[in-house]
Amino acid sequence: MNYNPVFALLIFFAVSFLGYLLFRPRNGWFWLIKNNLKSNEKTVIEDILKQLYHGENSGNEVNINSLTSALKFNNSIIVDVIKKMSINELIQFEGDVLKLTNSGRDYALRIVRVHRLWEKYLAEKTGYAKAEWHDMAELKEHELSPEETNVLATQLGNPIYDPHGDPIPTKSGKVADVNGEFLSSLAVNAVGKIIHIEDEPDVIYKQIIAENIHIGSQIRMVENNNQRIVFYAEGEEFILAPIVAANITVAVLEKDEIVEENMVRLSSLKENETARILGISKESRGDNRRRLLDLGFVKGTKISIDLISPMKNPIAYLVKGTSIALRKDQASKILIKKD
Amino acid sequence: MNKNSIDNIIALSSDLRWKIGDDFHDGLAEGIYADASEIANGSVSIDNEKKRFRLDSKIDKIVTSKTWGFPIMFMILGVILWLTIIGANYPSAMLANLLLDNMHPALKGFASSIGMPWWLDGFLIDGVYLAVAWVIAVMLPPMAIFFPMFTLLEDFGYLPRVAFNLDYMFKKSGAHGKQALTMSMGFGCNAAGVVATRIIDSPRERLIAIITNNFSLCNGRWPTQILIATIFIGAVVPASFSAIASLSAVIGIAILGIFFMFFTSWALTKTVLKGEVSTFNLELPPYRPPRFWKTVYTSLIDRTIIVLWRAILFAAPAGAVIWLISNIYIGNESIATLTINSLDGFGFLLGMNGVILLAYIVAIPANEIVIPTILMLTVMASGIPGGEGVGVMFELDSANATGDILKAGGWTLLTAVNLMLFSLLHNPCSTTIYTIYKETNSVKWTTVASILPVIMGFVITFLVAQVWRLF
Amino acid sequence: MENKVSSACDTCSHFNAKGLKKLGVNTKNFDFVVALAGNPNTGKSTVFNALTGLRQHTGNWPGKTVVRAEGAFEYNAQKFKLIDLPGTYSLLSTSQDEEVARNFILFGKPDVTVIVVDASRLERNLNLVLQILEITDKVVLCLNLMDEAKRSNIKIDVRTLARDLGIPVVPTSARFSEGIPDLIQTINEVATGKIICKPHQIKNVPENIENAVKKLSTEIIKQFPSIPNSRWIAFRLLEGDTQIIEALKTGELV
Repeated sequence: MNYNPVFALLIFFAVSFLGYLLFRPRNGWFWLIKNNLKSNEKTVIEDILKQLYHGENSGNEVNINSLTSALKFNNSIIVDVIKKMSINELIQFEGDVLKLTNSGRDYALRIVRVHRLWEKYLAEKTGYAKAEWHDMAELKEHELSPEETNVLATQLGNPIYDPHGDPIPTKSGKVADVNGEFLSSLAVNAVGKIIHIEDEPDVIYKQIIAENIHIGSQIRMVENNNQRIVFYAEGEEFILAPIVAANITVAVLEKDEIVEENMVRLSSLKENETARILGISKESRGDNRRRLLDLGFVKGTKISIDLISPMKNPIAYLVKGTSIALRKDQASKILIKKD
Repeated sequence: MNKNSIDNIIALSSDLRWKIGDDFHDGLAEGIYADASEIANGSVSIDNEKKRFRLDSKIDKIVTSKTWGFPIMFMILGVILWLTIIGANYPSAMLANLLLDNMHPALKGFASSIGMPWWLDGFLIDGVYLAVAWVIAVMLPPMAIFFPMFTLLEDFGYLPRVAFNLDYMFKKSGAHGKQALTMSMGFGCNAAGVVATRIIDSPRERLIAIITNNFSLCNGRWPTQILIATIFIGAVVPASFSAIASLSAVIGIAILGIFFMFFTSWALTKTVLKGEVSTFNLELPPYRPPRFWKTVYTSLIDRTIIVLWRAILFAAPAGAVIWLISNIYIGNESIATLTINSLDGFGFLLGMNGVILLAYIVAIPANEIVIPTILMLTVMASGIPGGEGVGVMFELDSANATGDILKAGGWTLLTAVNLMLFSLLHNPCSTTIYTIYKETNSVKWTTVASILPVIMGFVITFLVAQVWRLF
Repeated sequence: MENKVSSACDTCSHFNAKGLKKLGVNTKNFDFVVALAGNPNTGKSTVFNALTGLRQHTGNWPGKTVVRAEGAFEYNAQKFKLIDLPGTYSLLSTSQDEEVARNFILFGKPDVTVIVVDASRLERNLNLVLQILEITDKVVLCLNLMDEAKRSNIKIDVRTLARDLGIPVVPTSARFSEGIPDLIQTINEVATGKIICKPHQIKNVPENIENAVKKLSTEIIKQFPSIPNSRWIAFRLLEGDTQIIEALKTGELV
């Protein structure tokens, strides 16, 4: 057979490249077109409502300009939709500032509810990575009907907070309070508990995840100035830029609320040391958490290292007479007090 | 009891559930263990006075140590594989002699003596019987050696330590350390490897292990690799090095398989399996001396015979199909010839030929019959003398004679290399596909596991062929 | 497959070796169903094989027996069907093994459930035992691997343990067929109602959970007076177990 192998290779690479452009995760053309077809008026309305709702909560005023820069839609579409929304009394103008009407706020709460419930669902029942929850929930919030949302909520046990610590609005639109202050404004030597980690913007959130900072951890502030913020949590030292720390909310703890002073992570246990388990961090969720509890990683249990694997990870721990191997990331979510 | 009151109970439970909050499972688990430790403290007394010698921990320190952990592991696996491949040769040859060289002519003689029509005799004896006999002869001995040895290690308690040692590497590709074991099991038989994935209790990692098990070169494929490597690779180098060259080629293919296993595991976790729940825990049980004969007996019954039986069930119809396509004519050509001609173009593009592709299509039930089928089809398609007759699979005693037929069929070194690659990277045999379906209960994952390796095989052989032709 | 039983109990008055027949896989026309539960690595399958004379293979691994195995034995002219459940650490999570084991004890309603525990790791094993005791009250505890416990200088006061748990406890070393006759005798006595168990109920549950469980189980008993394990169903409802909610709706639990 006469043909040119170079030519065959070129065709092959061209086809593969086209396939890559079409189907690569997130920005593949196929997905973009699919999402664009779906992003109809409903999506635009709901995204605008959400912007207004968040603006209301943070005390920022929202006008058409700030909306068009915050949303990825075509400006003319946004203006069109805003007109329709004001006719339908979802929003009203006060000067050039946009405000939610009562029915608009109810609608916005419903969307926020779906978003946070879905994040909770992803955290508890699936294996998706933390960094992906937000984007997936952004899509899902436009899809679930109120009935489906309620079924989902019941299945999850009507949770009050989402995995980032944000309150989930209830069926009737009630929202629990989050009382805390930003980590960046916590005084030196004050003790607090992380109750919320903001997942937007993406860049900062990923940085916080990479630092292995967990929701529910108790922290003690060591140094707080314009350059850096240094604090201790679970026996480890963390250093953050103030702009990053501003995305973390802590509840200040009074003296009598401080549970455990010498709480450290199991991952810091050394060979020949013994310790007692104080609990499992809130960061360990769903099946993983249940499995650990069932295996006997419960409060008060004596624990020590049985074996270390050649690569130092996993490590086998002796718990209630049995040697159970855990990976490092699991061990970092079990809190202990060394004897 | 009415529906209303049940709804009330459920409503009450979700209300109470909301009040308790997130901590229910924590509270309950802690409560149960608190009771457990009270009760245990009341009845258990440990005499710490007599310092016990912990042989267990001595062994553990060695088999998981930085220096000895890996060498010991590779040595044990190497010895098992070596014993299996080398040790299986003799019983395999005996079985082949009995079932193929003696029984087959005897059956043919018997059939003609009772005046069986040629088509029935061909269909039953040359088709069905021959395929089944081949599968038994090639498959039974290695499995009967491999599985008992593997099971003995398992019963002793060494295998969890292997998973413990290797977990770090598997974790990098998103898999579970226990996949090291299901993978090793796959070197014996992929269907058995797939069943063995039950030991992985995390849904995502188990699916990964099931889908990638096919990348372990199974017993049915080792002989193909060794034969082709001996004929073609061994001939490239001077005669004194030919044994080493062909052996390294085969080992290279097996290692390439491990590489593809890691790569595919990684790709799967990043894409389709991203959302499946993933957990990890690994109990390192105390060592227990296995009861030798009992283990040998049960592993023969539980693993070898069951897998063999499944393989026979699938091989029988395949034998029939092979015979039928060679003997049913449309116009002047048999179905087999027509298919070979239409596949030749595609086969050439992949650096192989229509015969190989057709052989892999009809030999889905068992990799063991690929070589006999290829030989039969080559003789038939190229019209060279030799063979046992149309639609009758055969094998030759010497590698040289086999090589002559293949070379006469137009085989080159490229054909050989790509056949070896394709033998590694193609769909699992139908026994394994069926087992995957049984284990996952999902058409989706069965399809992924079946199609994915073939596509990879096409891509790799295509690329190799083009690059080869460039130079 | 008649095995010679070699034990002191062979000759004692209440066990009659001649009354024992191992029936292997012949599980037809039985009088009682016996479930075999236990943690992984407790020698559960060895006990199963010792009772039935079968040679089921299970490795030194957690989670080997995913498919449940069946076998049978006959004692004093009564046929017992034995079901080997998957080895699990707990019945509270939702892995496949645990579901199989849980569903059989709950919906299969075996006449006796034998829980095989590792005598040298009693505390850990009791986690599963206490959970099963919330589901069913016809339980025999098989305290297996007594030989290993002895080697580790662990002594167990069997009578105290039986009293605390409220169920009969039989020490065995199934590998050496020690204690098996005693086990069969006890299974028989629980099956025929000669022994009535008063199983231990989990006590150390946090107060808010305990209150919720009480409230819920009272409601359940009101609706289903004959339900034996209302407390356990309350536990499951509070965990949001959809399977149990479904079973409650279809009335499968009664």
